[in-house]
Amino acid sequence: MPRLQSWLAAWGNPSSIHRSGRKPKLLIREARGALAGMLGCDPLEIVFTSGGSESNNLAVKGVFERFQRPSAPPREFRDRYLFSAVEHPSLSRVAEHLADRGADVRFIPVRRDGSLDREAYRALLTERTALVSVMFANNETGNLFPIRELAAEARAKGALFHTDAVQALGKTPVDLGDLGVDLASFSGHKFYALKGAGALYVRRGVQLESLIHGGGQERHRRGGTENTLAICAFGAMAGRAGEVAERAEAVRALRDGFEARVLTEIDGARVTGGGSPRLANTSSLVLPGVDGETLLMNLDLRGFAVSTGAACSSGSPEPSSVLLAMGLSRSEAQSSLRVGLGWGTTEDEMDRFFTALREVVARVRGFAPGPTAFDAGMPGPMTPEAAAFGAENTEIEHDAH
Amino acid sequence: MTRTEPPRPDGRDTLRPDGRRKKVLVAMSGGVDSSVAAALLVEQGYDVVGMTMQVWDYSSCDVEEGNGTCCSSTDVDDARAVADKLDIPFYVANCEAKFQAFVIDPFVGAYLEGKTPLPCVNCNTYLKFDHLVRKMRELDCDYLATGHYAKIEDGPNGRPAIVTSTDDWKDQTYFLFTISPAIVPRLMFPVGHLKKDEVRRIAAEKGLLVARKKDSIGICFVGGKGYANFIEEQVAPDLFRGGEVRLHPSGEVLARHEGVHLFTYGQRKGLGIATGEPLYVVRIEAETATVWVGEEKHLYSAAARVVQAKLLDDVADGDRVKVKIRYAHKGSWARVRKAAGDELRLEFEEPVRAVTPGQAAVFYRPTRDAGGAAEMQLLGGGWIV
Repeated sequence: MPRLQSWLAAWGNPSSIHRSGRKPKLLIREARGALAGMLGCDPLEIVFTSGGSESNNLAVKGVFERFQRPSAPPREFRDRYLFSAVEHPSLSRVAEHLADRGADVRFIPVRRDGSLDREAYRALLTERTALVSVMFANNETGNLFPIRELAAEARAKGALFHTDAVQALGKTPVDLGDLGVDLASFSGHKFYALKGAGALYVRRGVQLESLIHGGGQERHRRGGTENTLAICAFGAMAGRAGEVAERAEAVRALRDGFEARVLTEIDGARVTGGGSPRLANTSSLVLPGVDGETLLMNLDLRGFAVSTGAACSSGSPEPSSVLLAMGLSRSEAQSSLRVGLGWGTTEDEMDRFFTALREVVARVRGFAPGPTAFDAGMPGPMTPEAAAFGAENTEIEHDAH
Repeated sequence: MTRTEPPRPDGRDTLRPDGRRKKVLVAMSGGVDSSVAAALLVEQGYDVVGMTMQVWDYSSCDVEEGNGTCCSSTDVDDARAVADKLDIPFYVANCEAKFQAFVIDPFVGAYLEGKTPLPCVNCNTYLKFDHLVRKMRELDCDYLATGHYAKIEDGPNGRPAIVTSTDDWKDQTYFLFTISPAIVPRLMFPVGHLKKDEVRRIAAEKGLLVARKKDSIGICFVGGKGYANFIEEQVAPDLFRGGEVRLHPSGEVLARHEGVHLFTYGQRKGLGIATGEPLYVVRIEAETATVWVGEEKHLYSAAARVVQAKLLDDVADGDRVKVKIRYAHKGSWARVRKAAGDELRLEFEEPVRAVTPGQAAVFYRPTRDAGGAAEMQLLGGGWIV
């Protein structure tokens, strides 16, 4: 709290020369240093942004626009951009945008077990590839991709490599000194800091066009007065990087225990991406016969916060594109639940959560009476047409996959 | 602080047998009626969960507001704001595919068949009183409530029955005839015993920002562009077939038209005919794309055939019932004649004007204790062919 007080007191503009501007400038420098220390890079390689989406946009559009510049140093013609098929919308939508602008955009498929199709990657990666973007860890399944190896292959072809590491920060150690990537995105709020600050790692020597031109902040790579408070919070959390590995192991034990119970006690349950390396805190479940949306409403009513796909896509009727890209059917994707554990999650909480989940799944599957619900025998869908509607859809989609 | 219990119009207890509060799922459109319905249930002591069905991208239409039909066009943000104000959990159910399949597609198809469809009934049949009934059960709720102007009272056989609302101008039971009798005991219409201006007053008192919203009018997804433009946007142009406008009964060709979807029974304007005598559309033949026009007297029918009839209570062959053949119809007395399967024939005591295929014939019986005889029990209905 005293630290927060001192951050709030530093109200000056960090770009000002006078004294009230020097304090926030110092705080930002400290935060940058702390984050660079956590990530194993030089502080000057950190560009603070508003969050993960902006970092991803800056990385990809920044490279693309740089190649478009007439004054760009002459280099071989590169117009291909590769993305994994399971990127966050802040990359998949950017990919669509680049395609509209005439770039040769390709997606690297993933397998049902969550792993990237390495052969397809090699085939797609050519001398004309400008940039490859593959996430460090998937936000829905937690699956980890072999970034160091993928980046080395890209470098061998002269392509730049970006990784969206938003989901990984704080959940598994990230060492940029070892990874060999050119660009990497991070977000503070994924690591218990405030919403409103993220970072893009830009390896020394990589040139980017800025998305926001302005007063020259962040070495001309991101204009606009810094969100000092959120940056300070980000830096403060980075100071706790040493705890990440140990906490991850504790969380892994809880997650694995929970999944073991789900698999033995809930009929037909499956873990998506369970066979491949994963973050310790993420569990993506398929619970056949249960609508994930209904499941999460029920669990919310009991005080548990879970989600179906990415939190950002709630309210959209489409099932998770990540799960579909992994080869799950629409009905499987619609019966999926994403459970995330935090540093503070306890064994007792996971016990209570499991009990609630088992109960809700049983009730929703069979409309079996809860302890107090009446007339369980009430007819299901009121109209045969509506009952057939979902079934029909499922059939068609099974064929499609 | 003593709390004044508001009237509990359904007379139901708010507690489950084990002493926990009963849970009610409220269908919230963001309009004033369903917002006040939710607020009243909270006040009555129920555990209330709000839900909005996302059915249609309303950003694509400018819904005209006025004095109206079935429900307000869905406004998720407004519904969410009301739920936040009432401090109740709130969820959005994605129903866009179902809405397209069960409401939009049949709506467009009916116009191409020369009918005048009634999409609100399909929305109730396949979404509100099906999808949300399912959600009610899945969320372990005891009741489903909506903001419809209708009441649930004990019927003559002791079972709960749907009866017309206290505000007979707003009554919406016409749109509810497909409800399965099995779910009536699990339904609540919390504003059905109120007049519209009382509903607005309650909304204002409770600080609900929707208090001054206007009622929705017409068809929620069509909006200001008009239904003909809407249909033309929805289907391929080669499905529209021009034809002749003929005079009934002589068969004389008076004009040509550009598609039967542009006409409805009883229509007088826009026929493209200049004669001294006022002429009305009296029949639409989709097979030959012929629109028949005639004098007003040819609009009247002594009987109507209805199919896919649904009955909420016992109706015997020969029973005398009050029938509404469109929402705005004040009702005409008729005898019910049962035909094969779920077909019925309605024989009117006085001929009725513009019996329109695609609309519903909905029948009622005065409730036994209706003082002013205005209150009627909803018995069922069917589709006019």
